[in-house]
Amino acid sequence: MIKFVAGRLLSVLPTLLLVSVFVFLLIHATPIDPVAQILGEGAGAEAKAQLAEQLGLGRPVAEQYVSWLVSALQGDLGASLYTSLSVSESIADGIGITLSLALAGMGVALVVGIPLGVLGALRPGTAADRMLTIVVAAGLAVPSFWLALLLALVFAVNLGWFPVIGYTPLFEDPVGWFLSLVLPSLALGVHTAAVIARQVRSAMIEALDSPYVQTLLARGVKRGSIVLRYATKNAMVPVLAVVAIQMSVLVAVSFVIERIFAIPGLGTLLMDSVVRADYPVLQGTIVVVAIIVLLVNLAADIAYGLINPKVRPQ
Amino acid sequence: MTMEPVALADPATAGGEAPDDAPSARQKTGMFHRAIRQPITLICLAILALQVVVALAAPWIAPHDPLHPNVQHRFEGPGAEFLLGTDDLGRDTFSRLLYGTRTALIASAQSVAIGLVLGVSLGLFVGYRGGWWDRIGMRIADVMQSIPALLLALALVAVIGNGLGKAMLAVGIIFAVSFMRVARAVVLAERERLYVDAARVLGLRSSSIMFRQVLPNIAPPLIVQASIALGTALLIEATLSFLGIGVDATAVSWGSMLDASRQHVSEQPLLAILPGAAITLSVLVFNLLGDGLRDASSPRGVGGKKVKRPKTVEGDDAPAAGGAVNGTAKAAGRHAAPEAAPADALLTVKDLTVSTATGAELVSKVSFHIGKGETFGLVGESGCGKSISAAAILGLLPKGVGVTGGSVTLDGTELTSLSGERLRQIRGRRIGMVFQDPISALSPVHTVGRQLTDAIRAHSDLSKAQAEERAIELLSLVGVPAPRKRMLDYPHQFSGGMAQRVVIAGALACDPELLIADEPTTALDVTIQAQVLDLLAGLRDRLNMSLLLITHDLGVVADLCDRVGVMYAGQVVEVRDVRGAFTSPKHPYTEALLAAMPHGEDSGETLATIPGRVPPAWDWPKGCRFHPRCSYAVDDCKSGFIPLDDGVRCRRAVELKLEGAR
Repeated sequence: MIKFVAGRLLSVLPTLLLVSVFVFLLIHATPIDPVAQILGEGAGAEAKAQLAEQLGLGRPVAEQYVSWLVSALQGDLGASLYTSLSVSESIADGIGITLSLALAGMGVALVVGIPLGVLGALRPGTAADRMLTIVVAAGLAVPSFWLALLLALVFAVNLGWFPVIGYTPLFEDPVGWFLSLVLPSLALGVHTAAVIARQVRSAMIEALDSPYVQTLLARGVKRGSIVLRYATKNAMVPVLAVVAIQMSVLVAVSFVIERIFAIPGLGTLLMDSVVRADYPVLQGTIVVVAIIVLLVNLAADIAYGLINPKVRPQ
Repeated sequence: MTMEPVALADPATAGGEAPDDAPSARQKTGMFHRAIRQPITLICLAILALQVVVALAAPWIAPHDPLHPNVQHRFEGPGAEFLLGTDDLGRDTFSRLLYGTRTALIASAQSVAIGLVLGVSLGLFVGYRGGWWDRIGMRIADVMQSIPALLLALALVAVIGNGLGKAMLAVGIIFAVSFMRVARAVVLAERERLYVDAARVLGLRSSSIMFRQVLPNIAPPLIVQASIALGTALLIEATLSFLGIGVDATAVSWGSMLDASRQHVSEQPLLAILPGAAITLSVLVFNLLGDGLRDASSPRGVGGKKVKRPKTVEGDDAPAAGGAVNGTAKAAGRHAAPEAAPADALLTVKDLTVSTATGAELVSKVSFHIGKGETFGLVGESGCGKSISAAAILGLLPKGVGVTGGSVTLDGTELTSLSGERLRQIRGRRIGMVFQDPISALSPVHTVGRQLTDAIRAHSDLSKAQAEERAIELLSLVGVPAPRKRMLDYPHQFSGGMAQRVVIAGALACDPELLIADEPTTALDVTIQAQVLDLLAGLRDRLNMSLLLITHDLGVVADLCDRVGVMYAGQVVEVRDVRGAFTSPKHPYTEALLAAMPHGEDSGETLATIPGRVPPAWDWPKGCRFHPRCSYAVDDCKSGFIPLDDGVRCRRAVELKLEGAR
């Protein structure tokens, strides 16, 4: 198993390297001049030249990339052009918040999505199933940020059950932390819940139609336990891939949700850097998110091995 | 790939005339025809058409200038002047929504068009070229997809600057990756198709092959993808505008309307609701359209309806599908007592009829019985209703199929009317079943031990440990070596023969009185078949079970069975003891099956085959169902209901002198 994980980890590295090259090139292909961004258009030529020298902008792009990569490997992603704060530290501050939001969203999605999908699969074509299909279609179409606005309007502004904005660190106040995550994770999770419900429904219908279900029925095993123990586990195999994809979607969408609830995660960091063309921050954040996505996929692969004995290393 | 020169003769034939394996452009039109017959798809198309009209005609239908501020009318509610009220600057919400439609549709169409052009051409290229091009292309696709789409859009916006056009260019580039995958996958599949090779041999240039032959075929999956991508693009446009990096101040977007509403929700809640509802509706329309088109491009059978048993009097003697009038009286007289089941029979199937929801009879008035300790063979070609009959006995018919007449009694208990729970108690405990393909009959993600113990515990109060001991006992009974160790293995770790032993062990878990084996050796290697049959025979003798053996192999029947029922086209055509059936068959179909049976020594002889094939259930021939394939058929065979008389369903049974097994 360790060998399997190590092998998968190694296979991720080339992709990661390509991602970093891609992001680097992308950002260096911009017409934006960081010097002008920092000093303003009216700055003197001498000051500009000095700053460009300082930032190492005169060197060839390949050289710049290598030096960025070397320090990145040592954990140094450079400094923000605006705040001069260390990019690595800013990311370290935000990553936990973003991940806890994304995971909470996934929690909501799984808790809502799986039972809905299973229910639909048990009685396909009935009124209940059609009702569910409509709910799922609506869930897929509702923009998360609008849902966030509505939830905040009803449950935070009008009812006052949850904070309207802000984030409470877990160790400061666990209850406050939980309350501050409820609305954002709901807004985040609904879309994914719909995606998962849809996938679970079709995977379950297929699983319930399999010959082994007939065998178990012919053995007199109760239908309920076939559904719960056999079909569900078999259906989880294709669902897992969807969960992995959705996890990375959740990370991205959480960036928007963070903005609505003023949560200081990676999203806030990134949005600021996008607006200000603060490319060291932008570059660092995107690479870190890519690492998260690749690790999530890796985790999904491992989970796939656990759930599906065929691909498990012997 | 080699192919018949005949098929090369005419490219049109190669490309267009093979409906089975070449989904040509006709399939696409079929897809649209099917799609517009779905009411939801039709409604979505209507809404979309309306939106397009609104988008195009916004300047003429909008009552106000969407950008013109009017501070005297801030935060007004819906009214005559301002249909849906006004915003913080007194701008007309209705007009802004209309203009927002324009922005949303243009933006999504733009990005999807960019994605399609870029993605499809790249996909066609890498798919057709293959090799390094393909590897590099897919690697780049992997990299692009390891960055979430929204994030990539944000990054691209940061790079190429704000503005809707640029943002949607970014989104288009992202879509190109998934369109590329779709196009490539289809090209790879189509490449293997016969007719592309045919065209290549004919000397068409590779690019014209792609565009003339492949493009019509990739259209259906691409249209589905594009429809869903339009919804996604609309959502991304709204998100980017909401974040303030989409549209500029000179255009109106639903997303930026929502962003602006955030500060003024308490003054005018409509401002936060209407644009969101507009986005949701539009995305919903695109998604449902995509779903509808997908369903239409891969039509599936309906089914799923429950088949109810008609409320007729039990034993109602109306002749089955044939609808014969002549000879009914004569038929009814004899028909009443076909082959009277002895009172001590373990299983009695009488006049069992199984139909589909559409009314086709899969099995018509099948009768046979199995005595205690007896082995009964049910034999016939595929599609004759053998397996359906077996499934009906256990109440395990597929959806859309049901018992519509007759009875199945086990030791005096009627099974067809039994409740679910009482039937469950009979399944596995009194009747065990072995299936054709052992590997698919076992759940791939559960250990063999788990599957056996669950079968055991379904009918007993044994503890987990006790059930495990029993399972190990069963595995050694069926000859699985090292049973204790193999309990922890998964089905894929077993060979076909060993897996079938496991399935047999599961069927025996609760000492059933009757074992139904449905083609138990068909999926197995020839060398293993004899072993599994020997095992079944041995177990039957050891455990004193009755055995219902379903097979198309008369050799198996000769080795194992006491009596045999020959089924053809949903009917039992001959039922008698095995020796009699082999030495002096009474039905021409039995004779034909015997003649088609391979026999050991004289292997040089060519095997006789039965001309034609079993007709489908909705097309059973009138009269004797075998008459179109029967060499003895006379005009009298083509009409009327032919009863099972003295174990034979043949008009000419008395006069024919048929040849037995050689």
